[in-house]
Amino acid sequence: MIYLNQAATSWPKPESVLAAYEQSVRALPSSQFRSSAGLQRAARSAAAGDSTLIGNGGAVMNDDVIGETRQVLGQLVGIRDTGRIFFSSGATDSANAIVYGLPFDSLAVFATETEHNSVLRPLLNLVEPVCGPQNGEVRIIPCDETGYVAPEAAARALEGICKPAAVFVNHMSNVTGRIQDIAAIARVVHQKDAILIVDAAQSAGCIPICVDEWGIDALILTGHKSLYGMQGTGAYYVRDGIPFRPYRYGGTGRDSRKLYYSDKPPFDYEYEVGTQNGPGIAALGAGARYCLERGVDAIAAHERGLMSACSRALREIPGVTVYGHGDSSADSLGQNAYGPVLSFNIDGMKAGDVAYILQNAYGIVVRAGLQCAPLIHQEMGTYENGTVRVSVSDMNTMAEIEELVRAVREIAGSVGAAAGHAADAANDATDDAASTADLHVKGRRL
Amino acid sequence: MKIVEIIPSRENCVEAGWYAYDYMLDKPVDKQLIDALRPLGSMTYLGMLRKPFFKIDTAEYSIKGLEGDSFFRIAVDDQRRESLEKVNAFLETLE
Repeated sequence: MIYLNQAATSWPKPESVLAAYEQSVRALPSSQFRSSAGLQRAARSAAAGDSTLIGNGGAVMNDDVIGETRQVLGQLVGIRDTGRIFFSSGATDSANAIVYGLPFDSLAVFATETEHNSVLRPLLNLVEPVCGPQNGEVRIIPCDETGYVAPEAAARALEGICKPAAVFVNHMSNVTGRIQDIAAIARVVHQKDAILIVDAAQSAGCIPICVDEWGIDALILTGHKSLYGMQGTGAYYVRDGIPFRPYRYGGTGRDSRKLYYSDKPPFDYEYEVGTQNGPGIAALGAGARYCLERGVDAIAAHERGLMSACSRALREIPGVTVYGHGDSSADSLGQNAYGPVLSFNIDGMKAGDVAYILQNAYGIVVRAGLQCAPLIHQEMGTYENGTVRVSVSDMNTMAEIEELVRAVREIAGSVGAAAGHAADAANDATDDAASTADLHVKGRRL
Repeated sequence: MKIVEIIPSRENCVEAGWYAYDYMLDKPVDKQLIDALRPLGSMTYLGMLRKPFFKIDTAEYSIKGLEGDSFFRIAVDDQRRESLEKVNAFLETLE
């Protein structure tokens, strides 16, 4: 089996991630702030030579692993104030925490056309109904057909706003792989005293991110993609000074007598409630450490090499249209930069059928459809049929890409040969796409 | 050919708006079976692939699979799920 669906969930994981997860599960459980038993027992077990009670990397138990993971994540994405990194169950949970936590009744809200439903749906289903059409309209900043959001487009969108604004930007499209110039967009956003929320679910771990340097106010992360962690783990960061309420409350292991939090500055909110996913966070920490030790630039270079070769080879196949990864020479932060994702279609075939054939006839796993990012497909002209998405990780090889290209060449060639017998093109009502008329996006495209 | 089991497909995102089912068979799909399915709708057959691909399209449902696999997939429009019974009845006649 060749797995080229890394943008969904990375597989396989580095051995260090699997080891960290197993060690955390095997270790005595302890929750954040709730017990020093882990530390004490680990110290005792270490003294007694019992390695089964020792946590990740020979360090102590889950208490410490959680703090260490915060540090490693901060180092990886350029956040000095790692105490403002909070764990979640993934990008969707992180996005909801931010959407629910910000004071949207007083904000003008913007999102780009490249956003994933993990951001779009919280915005469109929370902000608009709660705040009303006058105050709560989500305005959509357009991208081009590659998924690029020009900083000038963000500037035009923000022209004339007369109240504080929040701007959501997807760092890297999960459809085309297009990377946004976040530093430039941040300058535009901050000129309007707006706050910038960046969704780095696809880019963290495989594309350099400099949160503090670029001026990102809030960041959305997930653990199970290029950070090589487990499904059901993630994190988010909200800069100190951003008014931000928790969207969930509960036990934290600290100050149990306190039942109310202050809703006036200085806020004393706690954002991680309930028992945290210790093993998942340990794995996330190990995954982030893998990225740090391997080097994000080295990972990006490896993946760019695979995707550039893939893009070039696919474009040479008659009947194949490639979306994204148009400039193989771009560096990972360049104007025309792409991450380890591209989409394609074969003339005369539905994306879902191509993916079905790849998986069941050739043992190649890809993703077909709209990839939970419907708006960008409108710009690409692929809303009806969707696309076949190819995505790689540091674990993939050039041989696997060559196998994919061979398979696509066979499929495209077969379609061409069978063109005379092709199914009625009007009989399109299958698979991924609803009709365009079904698209009901309340946000106003700018 | 006997249908051993009908399993709801997990690929709901791909089959959005439609309900998809994987039909598990007691033997691999062969060309004879594919030809026998032609009355069910408009047929696409890609015979040059490593495993030949077939697809039958109608406005109500689509059937697709690969020659040599012991399963195929049927996707049916949510509004026309009764058409699945028609397909099932037809498939039973193929034994």
